[in-house]
Amino acid sequence: MGTQVKDVIIKPDAPSSLLLDKHADYIAAYGSKKDDYEYTLSEYLRMSGIYWGLTVMDLMSQLPRMNREEIIDFIKSCQHECGGISASIGHDPHLLYTLSAVQILCLYDNVDAIDVDKVVEYVKGLQQEDGSFAGDKWGEIDTRFSFCAVATLALLGKMDKINVDKAVEFVLSCMNFDGGFGCRPGSESHAGQIYCCTGFLSLTGQLHQVNADLLGWWLCERQLPSGGLNGRPEKLPDVCYSWWVLASLKIISRIHWIDKAKLRMFILACQDEETGGFADRPGDMVDPFHTLFGVAGLSLLGDEQIKPVNPVLCMPEDVLQRIGLQPDLLS
Amino acid sequence: MAESEEEVDVLVQRVVKDITNAFKRNPNIDEIGVIPCPEARYNRSPIVLVENKLGVESWCVKFLLPYVHNKLLLYRQRKHWLDREALVDITCTLLLLNPDFTTAWNVRKELLQCGVLNPEKDLYLGKLALTKFPKSPETWIHRRWVLQQILRQVSAVGRNRKQQQGEVEQADGGRSQQLSDHLARTLHQEMKVCSEAACRYPSNYNAWSHRIWVLQHMANGNVKVFHDELSSMRLWVSMHVSDHSGFHYRQFLLKELITDTDPSTSPLHHSHAQANGELSGAEAAGEEERQPSSTTVLQLFHQEMELCSDLIQSFPGHETLWSHSVNGQRHVSEPMEVDRASLPDPRDSKRLKRGVQLPAPPTLPSEHSFVSGVLDRCSNPEQRRFALAYRKWLDTVIGQQP
Repeated sequence: MGTQVKDVIIKPDAPSSLLLDKHADYIAAYGSKKDDYEYTLSEYLRMSGIYWGLTVMDLMSQLPRMNREEIIDFIKSCQHECGGISASIGHDPHLLYTLSAVQILCLYDNVDAIDVDKVVEYVKGLQQEDGSFAGDKWGEIDTRFSFCAVATLALLGKMDKINVDKAVEFVLSCMNFDGGFGCRPGSESHAGQIYCCTGFLSLTGQLHQVNADLLGWWLCERQLPSGGLNGRPEKLPDVCYSWWVLASLKIISRIHWIDKAKLRMFILACQDEETGGFADRPGDMVDPFHTLFGVAGLSLLGDEQIKPVNPVLCMPEDVLQRIGLQPDLLS
Repeated sequence: MAESEEEVDVLVQRVVKDITNAFKRNPNIDEIGVIPCPEARYNRSPIVLVENKLGVESWCVKFLLPYVHNKLLLYRQRKHWLDREALVDITCTLLLLNPDFTTAWNVRKELLQCGVLNPEKDLYLGKLALTKFPKSPETWIHRRWVLQQILRQVSAVGRNRKQQQGEVEQADGGRSQQLSDHLARTLHQEMKVCSEAACRYPSNYNAWSHRIWVLQHMANGNVKVFHDELSSMRLWVSMHVSDHSGFHYRQFLLKELITDTDPSTSPLHHSHAQANGELSGAEAAGEEERQPSSTTVLQLFHQEMELCSDLIQSFPGHETLWSHSVNGQRHVSEPMEVDRASLPDPRDSKRLKRGVQLPAPPTLPSEHSFVSGVLDRCSNPEQRRFALAYRKWLDTVIGQQP
């Protein structure tokens, strides 16, 4: 009986060189094409969308092409009375978009555009007794939110405002037998959650708690014959996982355990030569999300046309240097 | 074709009404979908109800969604007034088209809190949204919130009951039975929703982690539920041999059963719900069950490894099955290693002790001969790749243990 292999085949004519100018044009034009329907469908994550677009532009040294004033005004009008920030105007505040907003303001070196003390109060208020973080006032718990909380506070230099020991205890309770992490205690390991948890442990100075060889083994097994990485066993390869898996490997200093040249080929093959931008897999539709993670992945792989990216916060290293933040990597 | 603003206004209001009426006409709608249909047919509603299936013709979605979306956001900014009934209808339409619109679920949470909606109605809406969007994170998040409301209600009734004890004991028996039935039905219904979503999208992370959450919060302490889940999942995983999440769920069940040898400290009895001052479903229902002896648990593990070996040979080349083997080996040969490394919690040192006490069989030689057997007989390159990786893993990780 034949088994269908869950992977892609990269065609010989797939793009094999980096088309930076095309990508910058694609992102610069993205915001201006506001098709009513597409725009409403994704408005619930607008703030993160802006973070993806601006970060990839900055990594390509093209940030000045974006409308700084308009974006900062937009962020201001998304901060709520409680201090939290929403994805867009009229939406409810959430930790996910609070982090995105703070990241954008760091890119623009302008965090004081919002009420920082209130942001800190908001984040602090979402920590639970067991150390976990709720995503918003309705109480959903997820290790993603633990990452959002500490990343926001680290960028604002206010990590001391929460109970870090308790927060670490909760994240470690989500560690599995395979060395990976899930969204809550008992949940399956998932590359996205692993990125959040290793990033969290880096920001809290607790990377020694990771079983790096075991986790590194699991992460390396995400590489498929095409060179692409998936997020869990028997899933298709996807450019966004080339970021989450690769960044996690970088954080635990095991990036040399995968075949970098093959991964680079896979990521390059996901570019659209006509429109610019990256898709999840070769031949699919491009979007800003995969464009950021494609470019950031190439940066981690050492591409010198792109600014160095920080694996923990997915932001340009020069931005973090400016604010004096240097997250740990396992030595 | 409706184009002007007023025309769109009239059209959309009619469609939202049609959807509401469809639910009134048929309360048993069990699936939603979009019917590909680029052009409007003038004298017909774009809402189609056939048997228990509700369809919306694709041409109207691009008018419908932005309209209801903007209406709700204007309401949220207090720029436009909507009465409660309109809010219920608009959020329903909106969430069936775009279930990850968090704020719309939040509006419904508020309606639920003030009694305009009931929990069952919202669980039903979520279930329908999942038929078209089985991964939708926000839909699963909302379900957990609604379930917590139900647990809170039950727990409040339970507390009341305790306070009044002695006065109305007899009448109380019936009420308690009702509550327990209600919770059992909700739990059963939730498992069904998870199964359906798992069938619609393979390795559905959100569906399976929700299922784990439900057991942790609504069935903790109830070993029978865990055993029932384990046996009913056996056939499912055998028919979904590449679904890693389904196999992880089995590992979760086994792990919970294995650590449940001391009811006072076992994770089966420790719930976040209790920490929040709530009663778990099982407790409220008074359904404490005795745990199985460690030999039964060991038997379960042996059966699991046997099932896994059978599946590996019947369905060569599936990473999921090999990964299940690896995790099974980890449980048998090194219980709770992760906990020892990372958790200072005293609860976990108890788990650790129990884990070590478990009569773990030395399975290494038999696993090696299993791998050799597979490599001798098999020419499937994927199967060989996984078998070799498994052998390497046995040698490097299990073989190196003190």
